Amino acid sequence: MPPLALGDVLSRLTVLAVAAALLAGCATRPPADDAEALAEFEQVNDPFEPANRVVFRFNEVLDDAAIEPAARGYRRLVPAFGRDRVGDFITNLRAPLIFGSQVLQGHLSGAATTAGRFAINTTFGVLGIMDVASRMGLRHQEEDFGQTLAVWGIGEGPYLVLPFFGPSNPRDTVGLAVEWVADPFAVWARGTNTDWFQPSRTGVATIDYREANLELFDEIERSSLDYYSSLRSLYRQRRSSLIANGAGVAGFDVPGADAFESGDRSSPQQQK
Amino acid sequence: MLSRRLLLQTVLATVPFLLVGGQPARADTASEAGRFIQDLADTAIATAAAGNISETERVDRFRRLFVSAFDLPEIARFVLGRYWRTATPAQQQRFLELFREITVLTWSRRFQDYGGETLDVINVAADGEQGMFVESRINRMAGGQAIPVTWRLRRREGRFQIVDIIVEGVSMAITHRSEYTSAVRSNGGDLDGLLTAMANKIDVLRG
Repeated sequence: MPPLALGDVLSRLTVLAVAAALLAGCATRPPADDAEALAEFEQVNDPFEPANRVVFRFNEVLDDAAIEPAARGYRRLVPAFGRDRVGDFITNLRAPLIFGSQVLQGHLSGAATTAGRFAINTTFGVLGIMDVASRMGLRHQEEDFGQTLAVWGIGEGPYLVLPFFGPSNPRDTVGLAVEWVADPFAVWARGTNTDWFQPSRTGVATIDYREANLELFDEIERSSLDYYSSLRSLYRQRRSSLIANGAGVAGFDVPGADAFESGDRSSPQQQK
Repeated sequence: MLSRRLLLQTVLATVPFLLVGGQPARADTASEAGRFIQDLADTAIATAAAGNISETERVDRFRRLFVSAFDLPEIARFVLGRYWRTATPAQQQRFLELFREITVLTWSRRFQDYGGETLDVINVAADGEQGMFVESRINRMAGGQAIPVTWRLRRREGRFQIVDIIVEGVSMAITHRSEYTSAVRSNGGDLDGLLTAMANKIDVLRG
């Protein structure tokens, strides 16, 4: 039997994860007469939670076995200066997608910044390995096609955990797919049969991201009572903040809001 | 006809309102809120982030800061949501203690690796009648990009207390609410199950 190509292994693993998730199925919707439970169910926005948790565990196993060790090895082997160059290079490759998203959102000043960054970093920054544009005041702006769909008024839909990609939702999944197809570098790689390009880029971007967030994820997992639901909440809030380009936490309940002011204050005395 | 004396009195009585009413008073409250956060950060750095203290001492210092600066009952109520209202007073009390310990242990650990970060207050905005948003920036030493942190304050009995911290658009209170209500549900809606899980988490954090 010929050895399996990595792509085959990955696609078989995905099929397994998805099949297991489908078997786990949906969360039970609370009965209509339990208004509070129903409100909570809607707010959590995770009707496929049992299935999502299966995929989440699958991703965790994959992370423990391969991605996290690779990220730690990368940190040991490559000094910070080198890792910064890799990070800048990967970020610069995203510039056309960010530019496109900003144009489609009608955010033209942002698009101009991104175009300027790409021009400067690709030339003076030696093909993007030095983010010199940031030092000139042209800061990186995080945009993607999922955010564009949101700006166009398309709702997030139910929370989804994708195999490999992790936290998402139908809208952001469509965004990922569109980017995969429309990314000029991907188009170029397909057109020139440069088959190694996209898998290598994705691999490097994954390790780069994981390395940059080693402590963050350790910390969340360590301090959290339920890692899965912490990440779910973090993802949804972060997306909503990115879509609003950093303007607050609109659309979520907050502590100290009026509902709680007027609610029962019959709390026990805070102990000294 | 208004007597001259009465007129004078009226004018004199109105002047202070003109001076302190409206905008100036709000600006005072705003700068007070900003100072509150700045002082808290400076105190935390000066006391709890000190390098030459034992772990127990660090945790104790953090606990004192946390209990005075945060509106713990308000946060606890929010985090437990509907389960707070059905909890017995004893369960509520136990939850407050465990939640405080988890938070204190988590933050004192973060400050253990304090690397010279500083906090600048950059803006203060009103949040309803009794509230303030204090927007700040945490500057990192090694040239990393500054982290935007917004503090949500409530005025209670004449002084400010923190009810939420929003880091890069992510609210700690909302995250905790998601995590804790989910933990209650996975214990079949039983609050005692959650309290046990919290006690275990504290053992891990002390570990």
